[in-house]
Amino acid sequence: MKLSIVCTALLALALLPACSEGGKSDGKGSAVKLAFVSNGVDPFWTIAGAGARKGAEEAGAEAIVRFPNEGIPDQQRIVEDLVSLGVKGVAISPIDSVNQRSFLDEVAGKTHLITQDSDAPDSKRLCYVGMDNYAAGLLCGALAREALPEGGEVMIFIGRIEQENARRRRQGTIDGFLGRKPDPARFDEPGQPQTEGRWTVLDTRTDAFDKARAKANAEDALVRHPDLDAMIGLFAYNVPACLEALRGAKKLGAVKMIGFDEAEECLAGIADGTVVGTVVQNPFEYGRESMRILAGLVRGDRSVLPAGGVLEVPARVIRKAEVASFRATVKTQLAAGR
Amino acid sequence: MTGAKGRILGVALLLVAVMGATTALNPDFLGTGNLQNILRWTSLFGVLSLAAALVIISGGIDLSLGSVAALSGALTPWLLRHHGFSPAAAIAVLLLGCTLLGVLHGVLITRLKLQPFVVTLCGLLIYRGLARTLTGEQVTGYGTEHDDLRQIAIGRWLGLPVPSFVLLGIALLVQLFLSRAVAGRWLYATGRNPVAARLCGVPVDGVTTAAYALAGLLAGVGGVLFSLDLNSVTPAQFGQSYELYAIAAAVLGGCSLRGGEGTVLGVLLGTALIRVLYNATNLLGIPTQLEYAIIGGVILAGVVSDELLRRLRSRRTAV
Repeated sequence: MKLSIVCTALLALALLPACSEGGKSDGKGSAVKLAFVSNGVDPFWTIAGAGARKGAEEAGAEAIVRFPNEGIPDQQRIVEDLVSLGVKGVAISPIDSVNQRSFLDEVAGKTHLITQDSDAPDSKRLCYVGMDNYAAGLLCGALAREALPEGGEVMIFIGRIEQENARRRRQGTIDGFLGRKPDPARFDEPGQPQTEGRWTVLDTRTDAFDKARAKANAEDALVRHPDLDAMIGLFAYNVPACLEALRGAKKLGAVKMIGFDEAEECLAGIADGTVVGTVVQNPFEYGRESMRILAGLVRGDRSVLPAGGVLEVPARVIRKAEVASFRATVKTQLAAGR
Repeated sequence: MTGAKGRILGVALLLVAVMGATTALNPDFLGTGNLQNILRWTSLFGVLSLAAALVIISGGIDLSLGSVAALSGALTPWLLRHHGFSPAAAIAVLLLGCTLLGVLHGVLITRLKLQPFVVTLCGLLIYRGLARTLTGEQVTGYGTEHDDLRQIAIGRWLGLPVPSFVLLGIALLVQLFLSRAVAGRWLYATGRNPVAARLCGVPVDGVTTAAYALAGLLAGVGGVLFSLDLNSVTPAQFGQSYELYAIAAAVLGGCSLRGGEGTVLGVLLGTALIRVLYNATNLLGIPTQLEYAIIGGVILAGVVSDELLRRLRSRRTAV
């Protein structure tokens, strides 16, 4: 029995370094440890993680980058472990900002806490680094409207709409496409078609991050709505899934595709004309700015906090003309954060 | 009518009923394109369902199928594009590796007498971690390359999706194994009563290990097919819960978790029913958040009605 306990303990110790996601020590044992925690695993977060490492390096700190893969329990467990480890600051993208509020407040009581990518404005976080998802959604909706100047019917595909950033992004997209007066508080229930003039959003289908499901949703939408004019994929993997469905139905190019984020297939689609364009965030700057702010707070410098508690890192639209330079930028960013 | 035939008839009737109801509400359901889509998804998931069924018939359970599929699915494009493997070499290496993982499960279960649930649960975690680590947590895909190879998953032949022929081939082999080969009989005997089977001279340990090895092989095949179909695999997410879909399809199709029961046709019909239900939720515009509840409800209804019919039959026989 004792032998098995000793063996288990040794195994656990041996595995511990492997559990660290980019938490490589640079040899500066005394460097301040700052945590960067995502809301999932995605190439988007790989870029953000690179930014965090770069930002920490510039600030003379050490970034511990973690990508929870199993939702809220996993995310909270990771943050608790990091706090126990003695990190001096945490930059987190809360999965459910409303219901995680008490947890976030608890963390804020123990260390410097800021939010990035998705905000929790009612919590005790010190600031938010990211974009306004509603505003980015408006950009995406406007891009779709631009692709269908005479009007048309679109379907929206997204992983889930429970989380704050997804809900706001979707609503911004709907409002932007329909040409409504912006109102971030508005919420259109999925399943109910929304029409303004000649522009209609037929439905929003969710896939719970299952790519096979995402592709099947897109295929089924093409069957149910044979005259569909455009598809809008709001999570990075939705665009490749929709493109595969369009390819299978031989409707590539015939049905307009509008994307969000920078999946490689999406960028390739923009380059070859099968995707109209995409709205990209700047995850590298999310990571880099988060670490700069946290390092400043650890030094006791509160002037690093942005006015109003929000550091806006605006989204932008990538069309065919910008795609080559954008790809080059991402490559450079990834290399910078290795 | 035997229990197995009754079960096949039951799930077939349920499938026809769901298809009929969906067609009545949206005739597009019977469109060629939609039926091709359903057939393709049924074929992809069907390979995993057969993997789950083989283990269940042997009296075990394999929770690692989704992770094994993720491992082979993520590593196929990774080997092809980043390590210069030829398609044949990459697929051969991965399928051999997945089979060996199955053998490892079997050995741990039969030699160390570990519980199948625990062994394959650990496999679920380990292989997911391996897939994430080996790929560097990166999405893997074929990009615009290997279009010929991808036709195995996305192509059509004689108007039908190519994966349906792959599944047909696998299903026929499994059916032949179960009904004609001595080892197939041993598999049922092992699942029904391993002690009696051992006393009758059945190599129970070898049969059990073979069941897990075949399941590993089929999960590997499923993973490769999925990756060719999707063209993009996120190692952290792909295949999550697929072992549960596979187990659900096997149970719906007549496999008993007590072991020793199950047919290939039943499992394929069970898989088709689940895919049709997913398709119906989209075609009928049912909110996506309700689909799990609907599918769970239909599976439960199928299993409950089967159990009630079985009791009714046995009561009549007793009378």
